[in-house]
Amino acid sequence: MSDSAQIAPMHSGPATGAAALAPPPPAHPPAPRAPRARKPALRFLTLPGNVISLLVLVVPLLVALYMSFTDWSPTGGSLLEASFVGLENYAELLVYDTRFVEAVGRTLFLAVVCLSLEFTLGLGLAVIFLREFRGKSMLFSAFLTPMMILPVVVGYTFWMLFQSNGPVNQLLGALIGMQNVPEWFRSAPFAMLAVIVTEVWHWTPLFFLILLSGLNAVPENPVRAAMILGASPRQIFFRVVLPMLKPVIVVAFVIRGMEILKLFDEVFMLTRGGPGSSTETISLYIYKLAFNDFQLAYGAAGAFLVLIGTLIVINLMLLPVRDQLVKGKA
Amino acid sequence: MGPKSLTLAQRLILLVALTVTMFPIFWIVMTALKPPTDWNAAPAVWLPSEPTLVNFATLFDPDAIKAYGLSGVSQPATPAILGSILASVSATALSIAIGLASAIGLSRYAKMTKWTPLMILSGRMFPPAAIAVPFVIMFSATRLIDTYAGLIAIYVAVTLPFSTWMLKSFVDDLPREIEQAAMLDGRSRLMAHVTVTIPLIKGGLFATTMFIFILNWSEFMFALVLSYSNISTIPVQLAKYVTATAGTLYGVQAALAVVAMIPLIVAGYAIQSHLARGMTFGAIKR
Repeated sequence: MSDSAQIAPMHSGPATGAAALAPPPPAHPPAPRAPRARKPALRFLTLPGNVISLLVLVVPLLVALYMSFTDWSPTGGSLLEASFVGLENYAELLVYDTRFVEAVGRTLFLAVVCLSLEFTLGLGLAVIFLREFRGKSMLFSAFLTPMMILPVVVGYTFWMLFQSNGPVNQLLGALIGMQNVPEWFRSAPFAMLAVIVTEVWHWTPLFFLILLSGLNAVPENPVRAAMILGASPRQIFFRVVLPMLKPVIVVAFVIRGMEILKLFDEVFMLTRGGPGSSTETISLYIYKLAFNDFQLAYGAAGAFLVLIGTLIVINLMLLPVRDQLVKGKA
Repeated sequence: MGPKSLTLAQRLILLVALTVTMFPIFWIVMTALKPPTDWNAAPAVWLPSEPTLVNFATLFDPDAIKAYGLSGVSQPATPAILGSILASVSATALSIAIGLASAIGLSRYAKMTKWTPLMILSGRMFPPAAIAVPFVIMFSATRLIDTYAGLIAIYVAVTLPFSTWMLKSFVDDLPREIEQAAMLDGRSRLMAHVTVTIPLIKGGLFATTMFIFILNWSEFMFALVLSYSNISTIPVQLAKYVTATAGTLYGVQAALAVVAMIPLIVAGYAIQSHLARGMTFGAIKR
């Protein structure tokens, strides 16, 4: 076995203190029974963090949830005086608001396309990095650079690159002799392509990083065994290595999936959702609803629909590896 | 999978990947060094005809660009740069302090359930555009809107899951016998943590601090909706420059972009072996 179990347990052995009075779960090896100091467990340590999360995350969430059932707007006085409209906002969003439904579809489309590309490119690079070559560590650092840069700057940089007389069009003209270079931000498909290129450039490094650490931790014995049994390198990769990588792959998709479903900064800088609303993501639409059109209650309802959807999607993705994340064993 | 050397195709792939990775960074840095005549030239100018620092000077003194006959930016970026430093550094310090307490508490005194991973993640699932709405309302009522205190409070709350779980993964790596030995020496639990646990995770503490700083420094949307005139951060200022000047002051905007990314690249390289751990809430160790 490799010494580095890559997926860390989020649960770390039997607890000390009062919880230790209960018999330890049989699955765990018995904890070394060092003469334990009879001192009170420091449960209060988590208190500040919990209080802050409660005040700054849960309370606003509840306010937003209440607001989503009203017709409140900033000009209409206090939130408490706003009239209660029940599920009207939600019904409106799902049934009549094609812009919302389209933004949801577009965000999901972006998620599928970008994550597939990032996964494929990241895995390809990571496999090459299993070999030894000169300058490997420098190249490793270089490939990680994009993910360190702030999204707003990435968005701005690609906005410059895709200007009609910018370097991308110049290269298109010079390399493949394209005569009518595109106006990237005036055509819906090209604007979408610009968003995808930007996202993939920005976040392929994260897939590369996560997958490489997963590949490095694949134990040698099963691979050797398969080799002795005469499996081809391709078979070894797809039948032995990839299945062992599954938890790592799921973690990568979950982390990136959560972020791309909230995609805002890069698109804000690149296209502002344009032309028209052809590159509008869910976050961008909700932002415009709330802060350009001041339809705060309506925007909050949209946000809750997104939250529920995200919770379901992410939970389904986590399902196959959840036990592993909690107990730290395969 | 023993080490093998690269095939020619693999060398080519690496070369292409390196070019694609580095080109946008090369372009933004070059643009920041270009004089105005090069900014939007057709065909595009790759290397500045006469490299200049005037774009950087314009960030601090909007009149500096007048030497080139342009009217310059509407406002200096100095307040935004100072604002970014103030908000990021304070929020990072608070997030680390609170996260460290939570990390030790969770690692040593709490029990996880199968729902724990989902609960950690759920805080990151809510679109910030939506959580920003109640913040605007609550902060307007408590006069926290357009103040650094308000912005810092949000940054702390938003980065707390990251700092807690990344630090927890470092505490989990320590055998608890070490602390128990210190307790047998007569120290209280708290003192055992202060004198034993924390010094032993110094490296992890540094990596987490840098990681949280990267998150805070990068944050855009909350700063965008919670700042009117009293506060500003670099991302907000960059967005304002692009809107206000209809994007024509490329060089100055690029200079601000470069100023924004330098600290992050330094911090990122310093902790690159821990980036995966930070991004995955400690689920992947390296």
